[in-house]
Amino acid sequence: MAGILDVPKPRINCSMLSQFISRAICFVGRVEKVHPTGKMFTVMDGEGKTATVELNEPLEEELSGIVEVIGMVSNKGEIMASTYNLLREDKGIPFDLELYNEALKVIHDFPQHYPFQVAASG
Amino acid sequence: MASLSTGAIEALANGSGWSEAVLQLLNIRKIDGGSGPSRFRVMMSDGRHTLSSFMLSTQLNYMAEENLLVPNCVCVLKRQVTNVLKDGRRVVIILEIDVIKPADASDKIGDPIPYSDGQSKGPQPAPVPESRPPLQPQNRNEGVDTNLKRNFAKKIPSALPDTPGGSSKIVPIASLNPYQSKWTIRGRVTNKSSVRTWSNARGEGKLFSMEIVDESGEIRVTCFNQEVDKFFSLIEVGKVYYVSKGSLKIANKQYTSVKNDYEMTLNGESTVIPCEDSCDVPMMQCDFVSIGDLENREKDAIVDVIGVCKSVDELTRLTTKANREVSKRALSLMDMSGKLVTVTLWGEEAEKFDGSGQPIVAIKAAKLSDFGGRSLSASFSSTMMINPDIPEAYKLRGWFDKEGHAMEGQSLTEVRGAGRSLLENWKSLADVKSEHLGHGDKADYYSCIATIVFLRKENCLYQACPSQDCNKKVVDQQNGMFRCEKCDKEFPNFKYRLILSANIADHADNQWVTCFQDSAEAILGQNAAYLGQLKDSNESAFDEIFQQANFNTFIFRNRVKLETYNDESRIKATVMEVKPVDHRDYSKRLIMNIRSMGAK
Repeated sequence: MAGILDVPKPRINCSMLSQFISRAICFVGRVEKVHPTGKMFTVMDGEGKTATVELNEPLEEELSGIVEVIGMVSNKGEIMASTYNLLREDKGIPFDLELYNEALKVIHDFPQHYPFQVAASG
Repeated sequence: MASLSTGAIEALANGSGWSEAVLQLLNIRKIDGGSGPSRFRVMMSDGRHTLSSFMLSTQLNYMAEENLLVPNCVCVLKRQVTNVLKDGRRVVIILEIDVIKPADASDKIGDPIPYSDGQSKGPQPAPVPESRPPLQPQNRNEGVDTNLKRNFAKKIPSALPDTPGGSSKIVPIASLNPYQSKWTIRGRVTNKSSVRTWSNARGEGKLFSMEIVDESGEIRVTCFNQEVDKFFSLIEVGKVYYVSKGSLKIANKQYTSVKNDYEMTLNGESTVIPCEDSCDVPMMQCDFVSIGDLENREKDAIVDVIGVCKSVDELTRLTTKANREVSKRALSLMDMSGKLVTVTLWGEEAEKFDGSGQPIVAIKAAKLSDFGGRSLSASFSSTMMINPDIPEAYKLRGWFDKEGHAMEGQSLTEVRGAGRSLLENWKSLADVKSEHLGHGDKADYYSCIATIVFLRKENCLYQACPSQDCNKKVVDQQNGMFRCEKCDKEFPNFKYRLILSANIADHADNQWVTCFQDSAEAILGQNAAYLGQLKDSNESAFDEIFQQANFNTFIFRNRVKLETYNDESRIKATVMEVKPVDHRDYSKRLIMNIRSMGAK
């Protein structure tokens, strides 16, 4: 399989995890709890549902706020993260996770207009 | 003749009254009331006498118009008031009447003769079976609720209290009419305007108005000049008053939503007396319109609405054409129709409004506007109530807490940016052309999100009159002085002002627009004085500013109007305002548009 960075990574929320098992996805959520080992944390999506993110390496920084995670969905519906990116909110514009979730639903409700996944299924 | 109340005509005509008189209607005639509603004059018979001075109250006009009341039908007079005209004649106003026998089942009963005062001592003086004190109301408790739309207070069946001064009887507001002179109403003031002044060619003055409600209906009451001084401080909203000797005239429905064909003006003879025992007078009458139904109402209609305050905007201030500063605030109301509408509050109500906890807001007499879809404005004649103690409010609260809070709700008013809530009219630049905006008699305004693709830096600055409020271009006198034609003065200096031509583009089209001072400064990110200085001193820095300004995206609020120069017509677009893009707001609007397109 090509590297995760080379394949399309559909944006999903928690309720869609089960449909994307073993596929590369992009998940944006608010960091909830970081596991003491630093290899796991939970994120909440715009609908208030929680997902678990597992990391290959323990975290090297404090994690809080909005995070964008790229990874594969495991059989258990956990996100095996390849990489993540903290979205900074310090410019005074808070990230509207609910609004993001609405946009995400639009993408999935009208796949004909958002054909990002075509390559992924090939 | 057995079934008619013999003697009732005489009793009614001489003012002694008759309860539930059974009479035969002999004739009914429409009297055109000029500008007001037409009225019906009725001739009634009790088998012995006829009397033609019966009038149908206007609320009952439908009975005549629908041919329920036709000659020869037998009726029972359930409620009436007898009024004495200035010339001494009596008129019986019918407030409630039932037809007990239709016309086709009966002929004229008996051989009645017209009643006249002289005949009251006629051959067979009718015994008046129930003698009543002449000044008692005849409509004690029966059927008071027939005209009620909403009656907020519990009705306590009590005898009407005595009129202070005892001179005239208490009548229901619904029975008031210009043909009646001696009356007193007892009602609650539900709304009171502030004192407004006017000044025109015919002089100046002041006025205020209020609305008074009782069980039967409501009426608008206006006071001018001296009466303002006399009554304004006395009247408190929510209190009950006796009012008598006001002048009645046909209501001008343009200015009021009060459901009464008449309105009252207080004059020098009028009296207003507070009433302490007021528990049985209803609080306020509203005829709530569902928010979902607002779309079907005419623009400028006056409506009563009740809804949950879903969201509130910040208070904003603006300056009116008359250079008066007013505050305004927009809020979103939602009701069980699942629809939302934006309501604008003004002045003190806007300043004081607290939308925390999503209160129930009822607004009586809000004005419907077609700005940005459908929106409402609470004007000076509107009354706003927060969490009113009325059944509708409890019902709505119950619904909202249970299911309504989770509903997205569809707004009748277009999605708006903070502040300019009602003014936006979002268009793509292609829409502006395809919809021929600006081709009408009036200029059109729209908002768009667009990117600067070209700025014409040539002639973007001009030398303007340095006087504070004059921005007229000055003429260089070539002697170090600059002349302003408008101020008719010469100055040793001038100020630079901007007039910038820009080409803006969105996904669909592009458009040349003209930006004046403020909007040009916003686009260029520099003020005109600095730009003028740069232009004269450092042309490359000046150019740099224009380069930097390219490809920035803004919210533009534009005015478009077809203008004709030398027989050539073209659309002139002027930028009224430039604002940074609120991406959150923009995304919301896009999602809403996608959803509404998807639903089609």
